[in-house]
Amino acid sequence: MHLAVSLDIASAPGQAGLTFGEIAAFVRKTETARIDMVVISDSSPDGERSTSPFEATTLVAALATVTEKVGLVANASTIAHQPYNLARRFASLDIISHGRAGWSATMTQAPHEAANFSCPDGFSDDDFRRRAQEYIGIVQGLWRGWDADALLFDKSGGRFHDPEKMHLLDHKGEFFSVRGPLNVARSPQDTPVLALSGLSEADFDIAARTADVILFDERPAEESRARHDDFKRRVSACGRKPDAVKVLTDLSLTTDRINGLADRLEEAFHSKNCDGFNILMPAQPSVFDDFADRVLPDLRRRGLFREDYRGTTLRSHLGLTGGGDR
Amino acid sequence: MSAQMKLGAFLWATGHHIAAWRHPKAHARAGIDIDHYIQLARTAEAAKFDMIFCEDAAGLREANVDIASQTSRSIGFEPISLLSALAVHTNHIGLVSTASTSYNEPYGLARTFLSLDHLSGGRAGWNLVTSASQIEAANFGATGLKPHADRYERAREFAEVVTGLWQGKASGHDGQSFSVRDPLDLPRSPQGAPVMVQAGASDVGRDLAARTADVVFTAAQTFEEATAFYDDLKGRMAAYGREPDEIKIMPGVSPVVAETEAEAREKFEELQELIPDEVGVALLSSYLSISDLWRHPIDGPLPELPESEGMKSRQALVVEQSRRDGLSIRQIARHFAGARGHWRIVGTAAQVADELQARFEGGAADGFNVMPSYFPGELDAFATLVVPELQRRGLFRKAYEGTTLRDHLGLRRPS
Repeated sequence: MHLAVSLDIASAPGQAGLTFGEIAAFVRKTETARIDMVVISDSSPDGERSTSPFEATTLVAALATVTEKVGLVANASTIAHQPYNLARRFASLDIISHGRAGWSATMTQAPHEAANFSCPDGFSDDDFRRRAQEYIGIVQGLWRGWDADALLFDKSGGRFHDPEKMHLLDHKGEFFSVRGPLNVARSPQDTPVLALSGLSEADFDIAARTADVILFDERPAEESRARHDDFKRRVSACGRKPDAVKVLTDLSLTTDRINGLADRLEEAFHSKNCDGFNILMPAQPSVFDDFADRVLPDLRRRGLFREDYRGTTLRSHLGLTGGGDR
Repeated sequence: MSAQMKLGAFLWATGHHIAAWRHPKAHARAGIDIDHYIQLARTAEAAKFDMIFCEDAAGLREANVDIASQTSRSIGFEPISLLSALAVHTNHIGLVSTASTSYNEPYGLARTFLSLDHLSGGRAGWNLVTSASQIEAANFGATGLKPHADRYERAREFAEVVTGLWQGKASGHDGQSFSVRDPLDLPRSPQGAPVMVQAGASDVGRDLAARTADVVFTAAQTFEEATAFYDDLKGRMAAYGREPDEIKIMPGVSPVVAETEAEAREKFEELQELIPDEVGVALLSSYLSISDLWRHPIDGPLPELPESEGMKSRQALVVEQSRRDGLSIRQIARHFAGARGHWRIVGTAAQVADELQARFEGGAADGFNVMPSYFPGELDAFATLVVPELQRRGLFRKAYEGTTLRDHLGLRRPS
């Protein structure tokens, strides 16, 4: 099975936020535990103010240089960034991390977020969805703008890159027009990983076409299985192998849920409800120690979770080949 | 004038010389090698530079794909992620990046730079640009570049919103170009607010700088141009209730330094010979914002040019230089390709220090933004040859006095 850890860096009001050193120490622990990836949340200012000093993409850039193996996924909203800028930021993160970066996008509009981005009324659900779909297509298209062998570095011949291997995007759509190409080289893992969350059923086809990872919320077993089957059918309908998208189900980790957890995870995994789990961590991450010490060894004994990383990129951890549907 | 000069290490692609990447000692893979940048940052920090500066554009630098493919400038790191990575591998040096007011929203930009400021313990700075390139515009749905004055009006409002957010302004903003509902959801900056940098040198650009900037980067070839700019900008500050030393003016300087003057000249000529004519002329065309410069005879003079909506001030600089020296297109293309319109000094450490000292003490600069020809070699050369010479003369610090970028620059913390 695949295991992700989602770290909510925003502390409760009045509590001190985690320092960079604390966050880095936690991420190294997940790396020691051979977790596939850590997803760093990015708060949206709604209601109570968070006290984390960090925005997710900048934090992931810093984490990338103090870790070696674990995947690093940053949450970034389609409202807060222009698609060209976001594609560039993540392409750059992927090179900084040597192919371990991912973009986590939510298909649910955060209340009031658009009001901080000169769009006081936000978008209707339908507009938000069509806009997100177009946005994701642009970002993934920009990530493919340079062929993997485009850079020549031929000093004596004076050829830095092969112009035939650089491609314009020339996108003109309902919400955006973007010419491209990106001014960042091709990702060491082909393209950064795209993880989608906050999906309603209306988003399933978009996700089936574009996503590498789906983060689903926790549901009763039957419902979970039906949702999983429905989603994987749509992945097949897009001409992708069902295994090309990994479905991870949220798992709230609290100390009192550790006992018998390995049994429950095994059951959910074997009844094909999901391809793995996304462990939701609160800002005080010490509870992960219990999981690493008491649940992971059990999962490994049962042959359910890897002993070690098999490769160096996030795609290799997730058992994925190239990105998206093209 | 401050007692000691400020120094920025301007990191750009494989080097500031257009042919840098072809030099045997340049690291051609700079744009995909994070360890190379960590090393550059440590070199600059060991030499006690005030800051690292990353220039930026959200798009290719050159529209002609054949020209672009002969330079190393089409790919590289996105600077905010790059500086965030460098933040945790350095302890003192300031980290400044360019970001555009035309293709960002103030809330997102303020939040991102504040995060960089927290990651670095108060060492972040933002270089405000309005973006003058059509190539960038085409990546952001724009049908064409906005007129110069409109871009600056947007920039003025943008800077006002960002400054307000950094200073913890609680109430919202509802203006001509932007609306913002909430305060930032990050704690206050460790240095009060990230440092504000600007580089626009047009009339409206100077006014914006006089009003909002902490640092101004500029291009000035001659001492006279440099002092004229210095006096003009500092003179504009009183109108905004600011003291002259609240802005540090740091012209770009492109030094080529070696143990002897002959070696330095040889080193420079070696680089100049690596510039293909095609590339030199194309670079000059983009400075002049005209696409058909190549149609004119390369050994003839520059044609008369219409005023463009692009970089007005830089264009004026190029034209003036050409007329003053009676240069051909080829000559001026090579000349500008070598230093990108900035001031170039070729010589020994003592000669370079003499020139910097003359401008610093002569009221033409508060410091300099150093633009090494190629990396890592020429940053190393400046750090090991010129910096010790400046320190011996008492013109540059031997140790950092504080921990934040504002400390290094001698800027007060905003309230």
